[in-house]
Amino acid sequence: MRFTWICAVKDLRRLWRDPAALIVWVGMPLLAAVLMYVVFGTGGVTPRGHLLVADEDGTLVSSLVAGAFSQGELGKMLVVEKVPSAEGRARIQRGDGSALLVIPKGFAKAFLASQAFQLKLVKNPAQRILPEIVEEVASVLADGGSYLQALLGDQLKMFAEGPPKGATTFPDETIIATSVAFNRLGAKLASYLDPPVIELKSEVIQEKSLTRANFAAAMYPGMLFMAILFLALGLSADVWKEREQGTLRRLGGTPVRLSAFLAGKVVAVALVFAAVGVLSLALAHWLLKMEVANLWVAVLWMTLSGVALLLMMMLLQLLASSQRAAHLLAFLVVFPLAMLGGSFMPFEAMPDWLAAIGRFTPNGFATMQLRLMLAGQAQPGPLAAAFAGAALAAAVMFPLALARLRRAFAA
Amino acid sequence: MIEAEQLRKTFGELVAVDNVAFTARGGEIFGLLGPNGAGKTTTISCISGLLTPTAGRVRLMGHDVVRDGLAARRVLGLVPQDIALYEDLSATENLAFWGGAQGLRGAVLRRRIQEVLELTGLEDRAREPVKRYSGGMKRRLNFACGIIHQPQVLLLDEPAVGVDPQSRVRLLELVRAEAQAGRCVLYTTHYMEEAESLCDRLAIIDHGHLIAQGTLAELRAIVGERDILRLSGVFQVERAREALRGADGIEVVQADEGVLRLAVVNASARLPLIFATLAASGAEIRETTLTQPSLESLFIKLTGKELRE
Repeated sequence: MRFTWICAVKDLRRLWRDPAALIVWVGMPLLAAVLMYVVFGTGGVTPRGHLLVADEDGTLVSSLVAGAFSQGELGKMLVVEKVPSAEGRARIQRGDGSALLVIPKGFAKAFLASQAFQLKLVKNPAQRILPEIVEEVASVLADGGSYLQALLGDQLKMFAEGPPKGATTFPDETIIATSVAFNRLGAKLASYLDPPVIELKSEVIQEKSLTRANFAAAMYPGMLFMAILFLALGLSADVWKEREQGTLRRLGGTPVRLSAFLAGKVVAVALVFAAVGVLSLALAHWLLKMEVANLWVAVLWMTLSGVALLLMMMLLQLLASSQRAAHLLAFLVVFPLAMLGGSFMPFEAMPDWLAAIGRFTPNGFATMQLRLMLAGQAQPGPLAAAFAGAALAAAVMFPLALARLRRAFAA
Repeated sequence: MIEAEQLRKTFGELVAVDNVAFTARGGEIFGLLGPNGAGKTTTISCISGLLTPTAGRVRLMGHDVVRDGLAARRVLGLVPQDIALYEDLSATENLAFWGGAQGLRGAVLRRRIQEVLELTGLEDRAREPVKRYSGGMKRRLNFACGIIHQPQVLLLDEPAVGVDPQSRVRLLELVRAEAQAGRCVLYTTHYMEEAESLCDRLAIIDHGHLIAQGTLAELRAIVGERDILRLSGVFQVERAREALRGADGIEVVQADEGVLRLAVVNASARLPLIFATLAASGAEIRETTLTQPSLESLFIKLTGKELRE
């Protein structure tokens, strides 16, 4: 135990004396936080799309349809710009805009006459989420319009045609009758709307809730684990350095156990991971205003899963026949893992099948757990299972790495 | 004390060390002399427990290095041939680590660090990273790390290789001091002069076999008073052998078309005779080297080749 600590102190000192590597490794998540702050700011980031509206009808009804896209929450997500139809199509072709909504001439007339009509929506194939939102809203508007027309079609048609000939306004009895009709419709619908018969029950599902979180919160844990993965890669290569400089062999001539030496390396790296965890999460909370619900649990998770990743990388390094082969092998493993494990893009932005694979990579699994911990959504049972799994993985890989170290490196 | 008995180490088909047996006692410097690749480092590795012998056994102060490895390594100090230090750490930190690996701690460790720093003349730069040291300083620190725990058995695997003359002298003084302190020192080298000036007893190893061992005087006696005469040129080997066969006090050690080595009593006085005899046999002599009786001549006599070949 004492020699384990001696080894850990030795490795920490060596790391400290190599500030360039330390800065790169520790600085990676910090740099990620700063970049995200610069790009996304501190608030909840909402993606903004550009909706082009070609209103060929130019009536009050068509204006209401176009205006619906700039109301409420939708208005925060979409910038609505009225354009001529041809220009709109050209811009969508160029990728300049999320979607083009074409309201054809005669739309209002057809709507009020209860005739079939067609809204045209041209979507930008390069974008996925925003055009779908526009399509969804247009569909809801079409449905709503149809119901409104069915229930109050006569009144709407009458008002659209204007006052009777020779009059400048509608007669009082017409206005009263229409008001009564609207009122009755409201009363009929009240029993459905207040209290609502259909209750919308929201259930917090992990992935759905995460998609609501801001982009930085979705990306940052993946980036942290990318940093941990690269740290593990860099630090695991130290066994080769020890071998090259002869210290590992020399150690074989002393009465200490090689297991204590390896444990010392693990302890040193665990301390580095813990420091990276505290620093990076504190920075994320302070700079990105990211929710950090369970700081110490998250740091512990980063440390433990980081150690498991380190031992995995170390085992890879030790299985290689040369230092060069070890580097190559490790990089061949690290880059796909980083790509799949949600480090370069959040799982929500991946195709479903790829995200499903990514979530089962070691770093992808660790990233998902960290996201849950940071969002305060980790349940005690699954959390304990995740910790136990990481500890088990480390416990299995340690003796394997030790056996390989003893057999191939220390002699 | 080091006791090696019928030590054998093979790597697949390759026999690196075969039937090596010797005893080195406390207070003496026992030299293991041989060319590169002779099996010196393999022997040291077997003695230190880094390699498990294929056959035979080694005991250090009575502890079997295989069966009682921990106890054997507790009495052992190892100075490897290649410098094995943490270059990012200072001399003090390296000594603290290797001292800690040997079980030293607290005040004892601090005192020993100070002592070996003074002994090796590194105290002024003790806090500098080792990577800033010269080759000689690194060699001294490499040595210091091996003696910090005052081991009873000290294995030195070519500790002075590649060192400047000044550092070499200092290192050899340190080795002598260790032996005078009662430690058993096993010293491997391929430098004849180093072995002659330093070692109390010697074993000569070549191709994994011990070909001779004893004190310097005993080894010189094997050569006798013969000088080694090396002639290079063009020779008709059989005719040259035939011509020299009858000459008293001349023995052909090695002969090929380009080099002829002779062990000759009082060679300088008999050079004209040798030249004339060889010329009559059709030889064309271009270069002559005369070596006085030494370990070098012993090695040539025993192996038919020079140590550096």
